[in-house]
Amino acid sequence: MSEELLRTPFPERAGAALQDAFLQEALTIATTKFIDLRKEAFAGFPAGEALRDRARAIKEATLQHLDVHLERLADNVERLGGTVHWAATGEEAREIVLRLCRDRGVRMAVKSKSMATEEIDLNEALEHAGVTPVETDLGEYIIQLAHEKPSHIIAPAIHKTKGQVAELFSRELRGQFPADPEVLTGVARKALREKFLQADMGITGANFAVADTGTVVLVTNEGNGRMVTSLPRIHVALMGIEKVIPSMSDLVVFLAILARSATGQKLSSYTTLVRGPRRAGELEGPEEFHLILLDNGRARQIASTLREALYCLRCGACLNVCPVYRQIGGHAYGYTYPGPIGILLTAMLKGNRSVRELAHASSLCGACKDVCPVRIDIPRMLIELREHLDREKIAPWTERVVFRAFRRLLLSPTAFRLSARAGRLLQRPFVRQGRLRGLPLLFGRWTRTRDLPPVAARTFRERWKELR
Amino acid sequence: MAARAEFLERIRREVAKTPGLFGASTAPRPSDPAAGAEAIRRELAERWPEALERFRQEFERVAGVFHRVRDLDAVPDAIADIARERGIRSLVTWDPAVLGFDAAAALSGRGLSVIAARAGEEHEVGRRRHRADAAAAQLGVTGADLVLAETGTLILLSGAGRPRSTSLLPDVHVAVFGRDRLLENLEQVGVMLEALHVDPDRAMSGAMINFITGPSRTADIELTLTRGVHGPKEVHAIFVEAA
Amino acid sequence: MAAPVRAALMITCLGDMFFPEVGVAMVRLLRGLGVEVDFPEGQTCCGMPLFNSGYHHDAALIAARTVKLFERAEHVVVPSGSCAWMVKTEYPGLLKHDPALRAAAESLARRTRELSQFLVEVLGVSRVDSKFEGKVTYHDSCHLLRGLGESTAPRALLRGVPGVELVELPGADQCCGFGGSFSVRLPEVSSAILDKKLANVEATGARCLVACDAGCLMQMGGGLTRRGSAVKAVHLAQVLAGEVSR
Repeated sequence: MSEELLRTPFPERAGAALQDAFLQEALTIATTKFIDLRKEAFAGFPAGEALRDRARAIKEATLQHLDVHLERLADNVERLGGTVHWAATGEEAREIVLRLCRDRGVRMAVKSKSMATEEIDLNEALEHAGVTPVETDLGEYIIQLAHEKPSHIIAPAIHKTKGQVAELFSRELRGQFPADPEVLTGVARKALREKFLQADMGITGANFAVADTGTVVLVTNEGNGRMVTSLPRIHVALMGIEKVIPSMSDLVVFLAILARSATGQKLSSYTTLVRGPRRAGELEGPEEFHLILLDNGRARQIASTLREALYCLRCGACLNVCPVYRQIGGHAYGYTYPGPIGILLTAMLKGNRSVRELAHASSLCGACKDVCPVRIDIPRMLIELREHLDREKIAPWTERVVFRAFRRLLLSPTAFRLSARAGRLLQRPFVRQGRLRGLPLLFGRWTRTRDLPPVAARTFRERWKELR
Repeated sequence: MAARAEFLERIRREVAKTPGLFGASTAPRPSDPAAGAEAIRRELAERWPEALERFRQEFERVAGVFHRVRDLDAVPDAIADIARERGIRSLVTWDPAVLGFDAAAALSGRGLSVIAARAGEEHEVGRRRHRADAAAAQLGVTGADLVLAETGTLILLSGAGRPRSTSLLPDVHVAVFGRDRLLENLEQVGVMLEALHVDPDRAMSGAMINFITGPSRTADIELTLTRGVHGPKEVHAIFVEAA
Repeated sequence: MAAPVRAALMITCLGDMFFPEVGVAMVRLLRGLGVEVDFPEGQTCCGMPLFNSGYHHDAALIAARTVKLFERAEHVVVPSGSCAWMVKTEYPGLLKHDPALRAAAESLARRTRELSQFLVEVLGVSRVDSKFEGKVTYHDSCHLLRGLGESTAPRALLRGVPGVELVELPGADQCCGFGGSFSVRLPEVSSAILDKKLANVEATGARCLVACDAGCLMQMGGGLTRRGSAVKAVHLAQVLAGEVSR
């Protein structure tokens, strides 16, 4: 993510998002719609709950033999005439793509939406190397024109109103376009059709890769995923190692719940199964197929408290229900992956220190866990992360001192009682009509926007004497 | 090779550190996929009318347009009607040998340009011409190898005489199928996929399988649904009773 | 005649300090239903604020103390979904390194219930004759709803009060923005979430907003009075005990 952005403390970034009226409106519309769509999809799908359990089990079982499945996948891809590359880091993955571009004379690459390529900042690297990356997913196309990063895992431009998109297209594509999604989509269709037909390379991610058959699976809606894997002469798929699944029987379990969780569709418009480069009898299809397996911090989580985060299907359902995400949007988080799962993925990819603020960007309400198709216990892992921040002394020492003092208070009923008496004394100047207002210091953060009840004239313990 | 060995070794080490979070197993697989596929076909040979009706409902729910004709001879006319209603003049189709009917022959001289892909043209000139034809066409005609009722989905295998772009580049996609393609649920699709991959190079001449559920769509702008982003704006399915 | 049900109150730190009237209402309500109520006096807090912020060693010390305090109670009743959740779900894990404490924690987990769950599951209450007239709306506290899987008992109990008209709150299952220390770590975000909640509350036309968690009541009540709303935020116990004034 942008370095300058990260220098601003998270509360300020969040505050700025709260002040952005366009963003607030866009977020409300989008997340509410997503929530309703998902609810409807699962309401009419009684088999869904059992499938979620099965999907979770498949992810866990696969992790337990991850190396075996990856090896099988690689062998099968190579048997089909594809090439497998092993990228331990984002930098290695970038290098692999750049080398391919150099060796094959690639000047323009069309991209289907891939969060993995965002994660490794591939576009910047390509541009520096003189290769033009063209985002073809409508949302990604919009933000590429706007020089922004995606703000949602599946709907990258959801923070933009149609007016803003019209303005953007009119400016960047030199035309006069109305704020009509239908018209704007048509503009993108026309502009990008030529690119698909001329590009040297197609770059995708992978939603799944089936080890048993060497198949890479793409779940999309627009058709660009099919274009970039059939028209250019080279197809490169970048895939996190956790996306591998053992068999086609496993695949259909995930297909049954992925689109429902993401957009409320039974299936997305296109599910594309790619088994290597084109075969001898095919008129179309790439001559070369490259699968880049990306670690970039994932393997390290297998035996860590963040293991479950490796189940993630990147559906975005947790973002849509998160009370924090719904208020501040994706950019305020500051990293590639926003929302509840984003906090865990950021810790995974960039280390615990990177989430010393974000780990607290949650009220632990549990709505994310409720909607996660593979039932990832995000709140639990956020609490574990916070525990790491304490243990590794990443949390500010002032905070740790306060909580230690708090503990001592709670371990002593006498101290507890005395604190009530102290509270009653200290609060006197701030009581207004039976409520506390205008408190200083930490408490002021509360009373700026909300009243606080005063410490009771007699606590329950003090009243118990008569009640007993 | 060093990169691969090192990469896998690192994962192996991590996996060995922990038994995992809970006892879990992957999806059960059919012990004899071919037999499983055969059993499904037998079942659908009985249940195809229910499956067809369910398909029609789900297909229409995702904005597909459903047609029904008596036999293969009626198909070219049905296609011509679709084209005429939309002022469409240029069509591309899969190889007639794959489709079971020759639209080009049937519709020639009716003001429609119909170009069929032909197996055996996979050389540079053939590829370039095919791409130009596909890019210029307004309507593409394919078969459907499996038709999934539960979700209104058409499943197409790519390969010789069955190019990928026929169902992708033109504005309108028309898929023609008979009762023997119908499946009821995704689980059956899983069995079929297992069966196809037992000897994949024999079962499939291409490297791609596409599940198509309605026209191309996006909701990336304010979550307003628009159809026909990069792929077709319309999808039609023609069910042939006698096929 | 059956032996009377005996229940120990876990009043919670917020309940003790800020909402003693809720505790009083609980005592009256439970006694009215024939329950013998006890109050182990050494109690302070369940330790959840420490646990949620990652101070697990400290939370474990508090858990150990709490477990001992309540070891002789037949039933433990808590007027807070989050504290009940803490005891039932997290205590055993926090104390897993000491087998005796762990066993004690598991026993306490079994004997502990949030108030509405206690009324319905243990006492079999469906109707409470209480003095209350008017529209109420109910907010699902996150830990009661998702942590303990409870959304029906409080609503059933409210509907069982003659004179109560229960209006469903749109977005009842959405967080109020409290989240413990979250409310002061990210006060602006917390308040923005609260504003959305209160807009929904006011749209119901209810005169009372009912919840089963002191934290939620502090947050929502604090927001309601700050905006001069006529809506009162009250605890379920107060409605059931007939202690909500006009």
